[in-house]
Amino acid sequence: MLEPIMFTGGVYKHDVVMELVEDLGGYILQKNITQSEVILLFLVPSEDLPAMQDLVKELRGELTRAPLAGTEVAVVTPTLAIHHLPHVACDIAEYLRRNGAKSNMIGLARGVGREISQINEYETMLINEHDSAVFIFGNFAECIRKKENLYRNINVPVVIAGGPDINKKDLPYAFEYVPSVGRIAHRSRKATELVTLDRIIAAIGRALDRTRAEITKDPLTTSPPRVMDAVREQVPEVEYSYSPLPIALNLTGIRIKLPYEKYKDKTQEVRFDEGVTLKEIAVIKPSRMKDYISVRILPSSETGFVF
Amino acid sequence: MEPLEVFKVEVTGDEEFGSKKYRELIMDILQDLGLIRSIGHLYVYIDIKKPVFAVYGLIRTNIPPLNVQDIGDVLKLDGVYQIKLNNEEHMEQLLKILWQTYGRERIEQPARDVLIVVSDKSPAELEVVDVKAEFRQDLTDALIRVAPEGFRNRRNEMTENSFLFMAAEETLTPELIYEIKEKIRSMENA
Repeated sequence: MLEPIMFTGGVYKHDVVMELVEDLGGYILQKNITQSEVILLFLVPSEDLPAMQDLVKELRGELTRAPLAGTEVAVVTPTLAIHHLPHVACDIAEYLRRNGAKSNMIGLARGVGREISQINEYETMLINEHDSAVFIFGNFAECIRKKENLYRNINVPVVIAGGPDINKKDLPYAFEYVPSVGRIAHRSRKATELVTLDRIIAAIGRALDRTRAEITKDPLTTSPPRVMDAVREQVPEVEYSYSPLPIALNLTGIRIKLPYEKYKDKTQEVRFDEGVTLKEIAVIKPSRMKDYISVRILPSSETGFVF
Repeated sequence: MEPLEVFKVEVTGDEEFGSKKYRELIMDILQDLGLIRSIGHLYVYIDIKKPVFAVYGLIRTNIPPLNVQDIGDVLKLDGVYQIKLNNEEHMEQLLKILWQTYGRERIEQPARDVLIVVSDKSPAELEVVDVKAEFRQDLTDALIRVAPEGFRNRRNEMTENSFLFMAAEETLTPELIYEIKEKIRSMENA
């Protein structure tokens, strides 16, 4: 089993860590260099973890488990106005990032109000491209109960963060409800506030575990990191994308940050060692996010094989 | 003087948490905008079933306007006056008022924070900033920030020493406004 790990250390000799990941048959998910520090997110086989730990100890780096690595989580607020941003939404997004997830902040166009809140089809489909979503609501139980129309049609598990204590039974369409968040006009720095952030992360972790369990019932033809590696090798233009993360990993596929029209053919023809091309094992379509390419890997029940 | 001598928040229905949180939220926002010391009494009424949000407050008056001598040191030199600014925040308004009073040709700026007025008349007493108008702007901004976001129908009644801000999702009818005013009055008299 591949273990999601985050390496934090100096730039000097970090390429040795990257080489070891590749030698062990793992995958580098993300590399961030900030001045003299480097943060690497990668997957390595759990049985080879001691080898990695020895090397990192030698380099005076730090290894932490990143349970959400390789997933994309949407942090949704009713709008992008000052009422919801920056404090709560940014704190949650940052916390998700620290745990290895790629978080995207989404502000709905007309998500405000108790009676008038609405979500449109485009927004719903954009959120559906993620692995899970956190909806941040306010301080009144009545409003939170009423606003379930915003996430009723969303297929991915939705964690609701709000202020008051509400029984989960009152929110049948939510995966979980985390109280003590709501509207806050300051940064989360008190111990109780940080515990709440941890609870959101734990809820997201459970949501993702459920999705993973569903996937194991009908496994994907191949794993998303493997597709990512093949695309990176055979569509080298992706390295020139201005995005900090040119290929975003999901549990069921990847999003390539290149224009769809220009690169769809090249992406479809990506070939694996087993002789199959990407178009045979995945649905390649325009992503709802900008003009990116969305790749959804088909389950083995549809292709008839796993590699 | 203590900020907010009276601060009451009333929320209808079973919304104890919301009431407590709104108290914190209002304090945070008023503190952020530096308004907390200028407000004496504050009554907040929220009815989430209607839904409507109202804030009534008493403003601590006697905020004097800022004169030239409040924002810098005025020195009389040989036939001219020199103004040395302590901070440049009000430079734009100061220049505008000096140009208006003395004319552009009589104002010089030898350094970033120094102005020379070529005149015998002292500029020390000239009013540079109407702090009251600035305060009202900041207060309205704070009230819009405090109100729940979807409440887009707003009404703000400001007098010399009080303000009443109402916001609702639906139209603010005269009946609703009357009802809110009655409610605030009863809170004030309680």
